[in-house]
Amino acid sequence: MQGSAQPVLLLRDIRKTYPGVVAVDDVDLELFPGEIHALVGENGAGKSTLASIAFGEVRPDRGTVEARGAVGLVHQHFELAGRLRVWENVLLGREPRRGWRIDAAAAHAHVIALAQRNGLEIDPDAFVDELPVGIQQRVELLRELDREPAILLLDEPTAALAPAEIASFFATVTALAKRGTAIMIVTHKLAEVMAYAHRVSVMRHGGIVERTLAVQTSGEQLARAMVGGDLPPVAARAATTHAPCLRVADLHGGEDERAVRGVTFEVRSGEIVGIAGVEGNGQSALADALAGVIPYRGTIERPPHARIGIIPQDRLAEALVPNWSIVENAILGRQYRARSRRGMLIDRVHAREDARQIVERYDVRTPSLDATVKHLSGGNQQKVVVGRALIDAPSLIVAYNPTRGIDVGASALVQSRLMQARNEGAAVLLISFELDEILSLADRILVMYRGTIVGAFEREAVERAQIGRLMAGIA
Amino acid sequence: MKRTLSTLSGPLGAILLIVVLMSLAMVVAGTSPIDGFSALFLGALGGRNELGETLVATTSLLFPALGITLAFRAGLFNIGAEGQLLMGGLFAGAVGAAIALPPVVEITLLLLLGAVGGGIWGGIAGWMKARFGASEIIATLMLNFVAAFLALDLVSGPLKGPLASGAETAWLAPQYWLPTLLPHTRLSIGLVVALAIAVVLQFVFTRTVFGYDLRAVGEAPEAARRSGIDLRRLTWLSLALSGAIAGVGGAVIVTGELHRFNTQLSPGYGFTAIAVALVGDLNPLWVCVAAFGFGILEAGGLAMQASAQVPKDAIHLIEGLIILVLAARRYVAARTEVA
Repeated sequence: MQGSAQPVLLLRDIRKTYPGVVAVDDVDLELFPGEIHALVGENGAGKSTLASIAFGEVRPDRGTVEARGAVGLVHQHFELAGRLRVWENVLLGREPRRGWRIDAAAAHAHVIALAQRNGLEIDPDAFVDELPVGIQQRVELLRELDREPAILLLDEPTAALAPAEIASFFATVTALAKRGTAIMIVTHKLAEVMAYAHRVSVMRHGGIVERTLAVQTSGEQLARAMVGGDLPPVAARAATTHAPCLRVADLHGGEDERAVRGVTFEVRSGEIVGIAGVEGNGQSALADALAGVIPYRGTIERPPHARIGIIPQDRLAEALVPNWSIVENAILGRQYRARSRRGMLIDRVHAREDARQIVERYDVRTPSLDATVKHLSGGNQQKVVVGRALIDAPSLIVAYNPTRGIDVGASALVQSRLMQARNEGAAVLLISFELDEILSLADRILVMYRGTIVGAFEREAVERAQIGRLMAGIA
Repeated sequence: MKRTLSTLSGPLGAILLIVVLMSLAMVVAGTSPIDGFSALFLGALGGRNELGETLVATTSLLFPALGITLAFRAGLFNIGAEGQLLMGGLFAGAVGAAIALPPVVEITLLLLLGAVGGGIWGGIAGWMKARFGASEIIATLMLNFVAAFLALDLVSGPLKGPLASGAETAWLAPQYWLPTLLPHTRLSIGLVVALAIAVVLQFVFTRTVFGYDLRAVGEAPEAARRSGIDLRRLTWLSLALSGAIAGVGGAVIVTGELHRFNTQLSPGYGFTAIAVALVGDLNPLWVCVAAFGFGILEAGGLAMQASAQVPKDAIHLIEGLIILVLAARRYVAARTEVA
C-alpha cells in the first residue's frame, strides 16, 4: 500500500532524552495513507514517547516531524469528562452554536451522523461515566475522528477491552484504513499485531531494531526482537501435593451485595485456580472481599497466620504510594512484619535489600532504588507490585490481572514467578481478563458471570469455546 | 516566559515577590519601604531584647505549627490548633495555680498537662471523624469556639483566681515559671522544648513504623488501607497527637510568658501556624525556619507600627500574601512539570 504513495507522516532523526534515560534514540519512521502500522516494544522502549512526539505533545531534542494533515491521538488512559454526555464529549470545545448558546439539536445530529459514517453505534445522550470502557473508548475515538485526521495514533487501544470489544474495535480501524487514514497502533499485544497490522516496527531501548511486513514475520520473531533474544521460558508445572488453603462459601458482597452473589469455591496449596470472565462480572468485589477491604456475607476461611500476597487491580490507587521511592514502597503492606522493623522503627537495611531484590528479580527498569515510583513506566510499576506480593513466599496469592499493561518479556517473567510459587506450594487465585493467561497457568478454571460461578473446568478437560460462551452468558 | 516563571517558582523568587508585595503595602500605608524594612528588622533583630521577643513569637508559633504539620502529613486538615493551644494552656494554668510540688516535677507535669488538654481537644475531633465520619475541618474549627467559650466561662467562675480582677486564673508562684533561656529577656526554655519536638517529629516521620503509616495515609489513603493500616486508629491518634503538640505550646505560654491563664493567651497563633507549617513545606525542620521568619514579622511588626507608622495589620496582610504566593508557586511548579 505504500508503493508510489507519499508518506503522510515523516519522522526524521528523532531523539529525546529525559534525565537519566534516552527515551528515543535517532529514530526514523514514516507512515503511509491507508496502512495500519504497529509500533511494538517492551515497557519503557520508547513507543509512547515516540507517539507523543508524532502527535506534537512532546518536543524532541532534535529531529523533525512532518505531518501532512491533522494528527489524532487516542490515549491509553481515556481523557474524557465523565459527568458529561457522549455528544458533549465528542464535540468538546467545538460545539455548534446558535448565538451564545450551544445548538444541542445540531450537535446531536452531527454526532449521530459521525457515528453512523464510521459504523460506531452509540447513544449520544448517555453519560460517559456510566458506560463500559469499550464504549468510552468509542467516544474518545469519535472525538478524534470528528477532526478528520489524516493520521490516527492509538496508544495501547485494547488494554482495557474485552475480547468481543477488541474485534469490533479492529473492524472500525480496518475500515478507517481502507478509506485512506494512516494508522499507527502502539501496543505490545502481538496476536493483534499479527491479525490486523500491515507493517510492524519493533522498538528496543529507544531505537527501532526491526522493520518488517506483518505477513513476513511471526509472533515469536517479533517477541524475540522486542526482548533482544529468547523469551525467558515459563516455569514448568511441577507435580504438587494439595492441602486445603482458601475456602470461600456462599459469598455475597459488593454494591448491595449484588456484585458477588453466592460464590463457592476452594483453592488448595500447590494449585492455581483461574477465574475467567469479562470485566464487570463481580471479579473486583470478589478480590476486595478476599483482601478484607469491603464488607461481605458468607464464609472466607484460610489458615490462621497465613501469609497472603495480593496483587490489586489498580496499581497506582491501591498498591503503591506514587510519591514514594521504590524502597519505601517495597515494604508497603509488609511494614508490620518482623523483617521490616526493629521494634517501633523501620528496618531500613532490610527495606533496601528487599527493594533491590524486587528490582533484580523482576528486571525493574529504574535509574535507582530511590527513584519515585510515579516516574516509572506502568509496566515497571506493576513489576514492583508483583515482586512485593511474592517476596515473602506467601502461602496464598490473590492476583488480579497480574500482567495488565506489561510487555511480553515481563509478562512471561511474572507468569513464571506465579508458577514457581505454585510449585513451591502456594495456593494461587488468578483473576484475569486474559483468557490465554488463565488457560496457560491455571490448574482449574472457574468462569464468573454476573456475580456467580457458571462453570468449572479441570485443566485437562478445558473446552475453550465453551468457556467463551459461558463468559458471554450464552450457554 | 517559561524561564521567568520557573525562576519565580524557586524559593528566591518567592522571597523576592514577598519583598515586593511588602514594599507595596508600606507605600500604600504612606511609608518608604526602606524606612519600613529597617524598622521591621531593627525591631525584630536589632538587639538582645528585640531578638528575645522575636524568639518568643517563634516559640509560640512553632508548637501549633508542628502539631499542624503532623496532622497535615496524615492528610488531616487540623485547623483547630488555636483551640488546642488554649486548652493546653487552661489545663496547665488551672493546675499550676492550685498545687505545689517540687519545681522540676511541677513544671514537667504542667507541660504534660498541656499535652493532655490539647490532646483531648484534638482527640475529640479525631474520634468524631473516626467514629462518625465527621469532617475534621468542621470539627476542629468549631471546637475552637467551644474551647474559647469554655475557657472564658471557667476562668470567669470556678477557676477564677481569688485576687484576679479580670477573667483569669491565679498567678503561678515564680518557682514554677519556665527558666529563662536568654537572660534579661522573656525568652524561656520553651524554645528548646519546641526544637526538640521538631527533631523527634522528623525522626518519627522518617524512621518509625508509625510515621511510615501516617505518611502513607496522607499520601495515598486507599493504598494505605489495603496495606493493613487501621485508618480509624491512625485518624484519632494523629489528631490527638497533633492537638497534644499544640497543647504543650499553650502550657509553655502559661508557664513561660503569662504566668497565669487567661483567654488572651493567643492572638491567633493557631491560625498563623497553618501558614508557618505550609511555608515550612510540612517538614518539621523547615517549619522551625519558617516559624523564625514569621516570628520576625510578628515582633518586627509591632516596632514597625511604632516607629514607621505602618499599621501592624499590614503584617497580617503580608502573611496572607505569603500564603497566596506559596499557593501560586505550587501551581506554577505543577504547570512546569506537565509542560
